[in-house]
Amino acid sequence: MKYPPGTVRALLESPHVSEATRAALQERLDAPPYQPQFFDADTYRLLGAVCARLLPQPDRPAGAIDLPAGIDERLHSGKADGWRYDALPPDREAYRLGLGGIQQAAQAQFGREFAALAAAEQDAVLQAVQAGTAPGDLWLKVDAPRFFEELLAEATILYYSHPLAQEEIGYVGMADLPAWTRIGLDTREDREPEEVN
Amino acid sequence: MPDEEELLEEGVVSPVQPDIQDPLLRKLLKDEPAAADTPQPQPAPLPEPGDEVDCVVIGTGAGGAPLLARLAMAGLKVVALEAGPRHAPRRDFATDEQAQAFLFWNDERLSAGKDPLSFGNNNSGTGVGGSTLHYTAYTPRVQPDDLRLRTEFGVGQDWPLGYDDLAPYYDELEWLLGISGPSPYPWGPARQRGYPLPPLPLNGAAQLMQRACEKLGIRTSPAANAAVSARYYQEGIGWREACTNRGFCQAGCSNGAKASMDVTFIPLAEAHGAEVRADCFVTEIERDAQGRVTGVVYQQHGQTRRQRCRTLFLCAGAVETPRLLLLNKLALSSGHVGRNLMAHPGLQLWGTFDEMVRPYKGIPGGLISEDTHRPRDADFAGGYLLQSIGVMPVTFASQVARGRGLWGAGLREYLQQYNHVAGINILGDCLPHADNYLELSDEKDSRGLPKPRVYFTNQENEQRMNAHAERTMRRIWEAAGARDIWTFPRSAHVIGTCRMGRSGDDAVVDADGRCFDVPNLYICDNSVFPSALSVNPALTIMALSLRTADRFLEQQQRRDS
Repeated sequence: MKYPPGTVRALLESPHVSEATRAALQERLDAPPYQPQFFDADTYRLLGAVCARLLPQPDRPAGAIDLPAGIDERLHSGKADGWRYDALPPDREAYRLGLGGIQQAAQAQFGREFAALAAAEQDAVLQAVQAGTAPGDLWLKVDAPRFFEELLAEATILYYSHPLAQEEIGYVGMADLPAWTRIGLDTREDREPEEVN
Repeated sequence: MPDEEELLEEGVVSPVQPDIQDPLLRKLLKDEPAAADTPQPQPAPLPEPGDEVDCVVIGTGAGGAPLLARLAMAGLKVVALEAGPRHAPRRDFATDEQAQAFLFWNDERLSAGKDPLSFGNNNSGTGVGGSTLHYTAYTPRVQPDDLRLRTEFGVGQDWPLGYDDLAPYYDELEWLLGISGPSPYPWGPARQRGYPLPPLPLNGAAQLMQRACEKLGIRTSPAANAAVSARYYQEGIGWREACTNRGFCQAGCSNGAKASMDVTFIPLAEAHGAEVRADCFVTEIERDAQGRVTGVVYQQHGQTRRQRCRTLFLCAGAVETPRLLLLNKLALSSGHVGRNLMAHPGLQLWGTFDEMVRPYKGIPGGLISEDTHRPRDADFAGGYLLQSIGVMPVTFASQVARGRGLWGAGLREYLQQYNHVAGINILGDCLPHADNYLELSDEKDSRGLPKPRVYFTNQENEQRMNAHAERTMRRIWEAAGARDIWTFPRSAHVIGTCRMGRSGDDAVVDADGRCFDVPNLYICDNSVFPSALSVNPALTIMALSLRTADRFLEQQQRRDS
């Protein structure tokens, strides 16, 4: 741990954070357990296994940041982020095909389902998808490196939007009241955390 | 879709056919009483809100808002139609990137070509104020030679107007917006007066760039930014509070320090009687038998409405402006609507430093250098500017994922250094190319309208410029003490899809922004730029906006117009 835990959570209780900011971050901290609405149970488990390799959280055995929930929720609501690679089919189709492709590749490379593979084997499958060399005919319908990039970007955005991940990297920009006055190199306001070894 | 046209009423063409392709969305919409895909054999007569007005302005960003104010101040009856909502930034804007996603134009655009452009948070906005709600507020002026690329290099396009046509508007804008910047400004022609406010303080990235460039003999200066470094008052607008250095310009300013249109030209326009209607998505531009615009049809809160007008100003940005013209088959005779699409080379270079940077604080683009405006050793046309950049954590993390392809433990380890990371980037000129254009796709969005497909591939000039810029920036960042340097290829600002020119044979509008095909249709946004320019576009869009309004008003005074 480079930064002490609890920094963002403590700031959320303080007047350094605006009401709108507090509401947004607290909602993520308080998110109840999620039931998938878009994916079927098997595909959702597969998505969970994939996300666990993209952003492994061995340090949070009980309370991992729930990345599949954010993806399922967005696909269910039909929300978009303003653009899509023309090389990819619409998001819902891309996710179904891409996750199916990961399953195919796992079977072709290791003869078992993705979720049943060892971590190193799972990583080998995902590396092949990222490189565009994964076996399986579903990859004829969806561009593997572009799909991987989209999936990774979405998981990464969800992860680093979470207060716990922001504590991990020492980000406290949400605590912006009053004005920041010490903004130069190697300067720090009292409410900003210091690194620990 | 010529065969899909239907006559809404005599003389009025309505080419818009709703057609939802996504099955789940179609199912969701079916539960609604007035589902968009329910065929309406006999459309009900449209309500008529008020009488004919002098001018309708579509879009309230940098292109629409300044001219809206100008026209209202001249005593004209003007209505602005904004696709997005009106916000209350002080109350509603969170310092959280995900929570602020509502600022972006999130209707899907299809990005094609070898270097597909990203939209959404990259370069498109919605809401009263348009993209200025999340622009970085970087407001350099063009240099005179930016407007004469063809004369200077034999490629690209000259503008049909010169620096002297823009300079008085730059000056007016800098004082109205309250731009914080260095006086005198080190590059470009001498100015009538300096900036009204001193520059904003430099953050870590700016200090690192300043330090390194000094070693290398590259001139730098605190940049001109449209965020007030002290409390600032303007007649008709009132007081704006000083910038609090929260580094969140690209996800919305919560205290009004940044000169977005919602805290400058929109209140000014409203103080002079302009009406701004939020949540109004225009789908049709109606014409009479002579082809003159008679009004627009728009959707507001599920209702179809019409507003008649004598003159229409289309200011919806370089994607929605040509899209609306293509949808309505309007002003297409030059064949240039959607063509000449350009995007600024915006290569970023990142490095890790021993020092604590905490890149979330301070105005993101703190420092500038225009020494690379016309590099002596250039093997390309045009040039670029250099800037230091701060960065918000989620934006940075997603760039690391996309650009470095890091994942797993490696991604988390790298991002642990976030507070030690600093970046610099360029903003460079781009040449038009036949392969780079916008078209309507066959895929429909949730409104039933064809999604735009945008083709973009960096051509030889952009590739050479990016290579030159990477060498320059690497040298700077090495001199600054960076380790683990990597680049993020990126394009910013879509430009040029309805370009201005001297002739209707190869341009859509003239130097006044007036359509060659339709005498009472004006266009003003980044779509009219004949060349991309080597500076950020917002200030020049606003200058054109004021100029377009003035030229229109002059024409109104003349009996021979």
